[in-house]
Amino acid sequence: MKKGILVLFIVMVLSLPLMAQGAQEPAPESKYTVKLMPDEPFNPDAADGYTFEEMRSELGPIDEFTDSVRLGAVAKAFENEYWRTLKEGMEVGAKKLQDRGYDISVDVRSAQGEGDELGQLAVVKDMVNKRYTALLLSPISDGNLIPGVEDAVKANIPVINVNDGIINIAPNFVGPRAIENGELAAAWIADKIGYRGKTAIVIGMPKAFAARQRTEGFETWMNENAPNVQIVEKQNADWDRAKAKDLASIWIKKHPDLKAIFCNNDTMALGVQEAVNESRKDILVVGVDGIGEAYDSIRKGEMDATVDSFPYYKGQVAVESALRILSGQELPRVVWTPQALIDSTNVDVPAAEIIGWTEPEFK
Amino acid sequence: MKKYSILMQREFAIIVALFVMLIVFTIVDPIYISSGNLLDIIEQSTINGLLAIGITFAIITGGIDLSVGSTFAIVIVTVGNMLKAGVPPFVAVLIGLVLGYLLGVVNGLLVTQMRLQPFIATLGTMSVYRGIAYVITGGWPVLSMPSTYRKMLDGDLIGDIPVSVLILFAFAFVGYIYLKYLRAGMHLYAIGNNEEATRLSGVNVDRLKTMAYGVCGVGAALSGMILLARLGTGEPTAGQGYELNAIAAAAIGGTSLAGGKGSMLGTLLGAVLLSALKVGLIVAGVDTFWQFIATGLIIIIAAYFEIIQDKIQVAGYGR
Repeated sequence: MKKGILVLFIVMVLSLPLMAQGAQEPAPESKYTVKLMPDEPFNPDAADGYTFEEMRSELGPIDEFTDSVRLGAVAKAFENEYWRTLKEGMEVGAKKLQDRGYDISVDVRSAQGEGDELGQLAVVKDMVNKRYTALLLSPISDGNLIPGVEDAVKANIPVINVNDGIINIAPNFVGPRAIENGELAAAWIADKIGYRGKTAIVIGMPKAFAARQRTEGFETWMNENAPNVQIVEKQNADWDRAKAKDLASIWIKKHPDLKAIFCNNDTMALGVQEAVNESRKDILVVGVDGIGEAYDSIRKGEMDATVDSFPYYKGQVAVESALRILSGQELPRVVWTPQALIDSTNVDVPAAEIIGWTEPEFK
Repeated sequence: MKKYSILMQREFAIIVALFVMLIVFTIVDPIYISSGNLLDIIEQSTINGLLAIGITFAIITGGIDLSVGSTFAIVIVTVGNMLKAGVPPFVAVLIGLVLGYLLGVVNGLLVTQMRLQPFIATLGTMSVYRGIAYVITGGWPVLSMPSTYRKMLDGDLIGDIPVSVLILFAFAFVGYIYLKYLRAGMHLYAIGNNEEATRLSGVNVDRLKTMAYGVCGVGAALSGMILLARLGTGEPTAGQGYELNAIAAAAIGGTSLAGGKGSMLGTLLGAVLLSALKVGLIVAGVDTFWQFIATGLIIIIAAYFEIIQDKIQVAGYGR
């Protein structure tokens, strides 16, 4: 009897894929031809590219386009405000196009946390199977989405790598120059401390491209432009607020004359700021990302500055780039999105004004 | 219980290890031995220490609690939201403690009533609790805690001694008395050694075990509320992976994952040792990648020490 049930079960399980295949409509074929980039290290900071203003001036207005476009976007994790804002930006970008009469929608999904590399790949594979028109991907690590991108390209689905996380074989990349994050912070700090004194860097997760580039940008700028500024400490705190605070409180005791601390993101900078508050010293704290909490902290006179890469506008540029690619325009490999340093002088200036944002033009 | 010389006790070995570390790191950079830095070591051990003390209770009964990091997060966001809504800090803390206890009791009931293996039961609640923390906040952090609350849990009390350190010591002390001098404490060890025999001798095993998981939840709640005070912000992502650090501290302190063995002092010292190592490596400017390796090696050495200890004792009795 038991055996009978087992056999029945096995037969049912085996027949599932057949039933599924029977039920599924044949996926529509993509009309695009997509080529993989060579599998070699790729640094978008150093590649050929347009800024988003150049994209508009060089390529002109967005073409008329009547196809139905279903964009699939995969972010890292919505626990992080940055990704929620990027999602909002993409949805707003699509909405604006819908209002112009385009048949476009965007479906933004994410992994289950920033450690869920395989889960994120599963989301991408699902989107490939459902034949989304184009994919906008922000991989957790440089490698975890590669198999999904290969599948997408096989199915001729255009893939755009949206900062951050680098997919070296993806045909297009949209994002800010990560190295410039660090350069902007370095220049601001050097100016404030009179090009002289001790500074330290709190690094994010070393596997992340953004962490490496931000740190390198800061160091290189200081070496070249401010030889009397020393970087006395440099450690990673895994993007974690509590770890960054612990790190900073030790450094502040070790270097009583520390002048400034640059953090690879705002969450860590806010942790470092807590340590600085406790020490009652006047140490500059600069972060990256421009999250709401950092803005509030700058308004309160606590954190000193943040380098904002405006995910809300980045999301819109990503959607616009996707539409341009789909409508047949030739984009360079990289489109750089805007960024700016925010401190007490411009914390209340609207972002659109700071970056000189304009709406795209249409034919 | 076997009696053996103080030299053979785990606590003594950890203290020796701490001294060695102190000397080595001081040679590398004398700042290490400054009073401010030593205080930092203790202060930075509070978060892990409180979790570890709680988890020691669960481990002594032969169980484990993987959900402490998630319990930690629920308490952080709940207490954070209450404070934002204007609930007096003292009341919010009490509710936080009760909440932590109840979340722990749920684990205990899964283990004692549904007869789930503790590893599986708490693996499940680890995910459920984390999800609840996200649902409560929608993923957003709870910002700007009132300074009265922050001072209450993370201010300085006498001189430079942080309140959080006193809370850690008080929690450890209560646990110490409970485990060492109360009948219920001895029963916890008995459950870990032989649950059936303990049950047959008339002890209410289920109730005691459930309570042990409750204590574990209280440790997580205290730990979370201190972090909330320390950072002034509560994030639903807080505490991920903290359960492993807590288990490490307990294991270094001589708590056997097989149950029936462990002490408050050992766990406390284990947490301080991990913190001393972490701070030392930071002061010395060692790359974080090496910090992982060093932490892992210490856990392995501590476990091996246990085996050598047992061997020597067996040899001694053979004579």
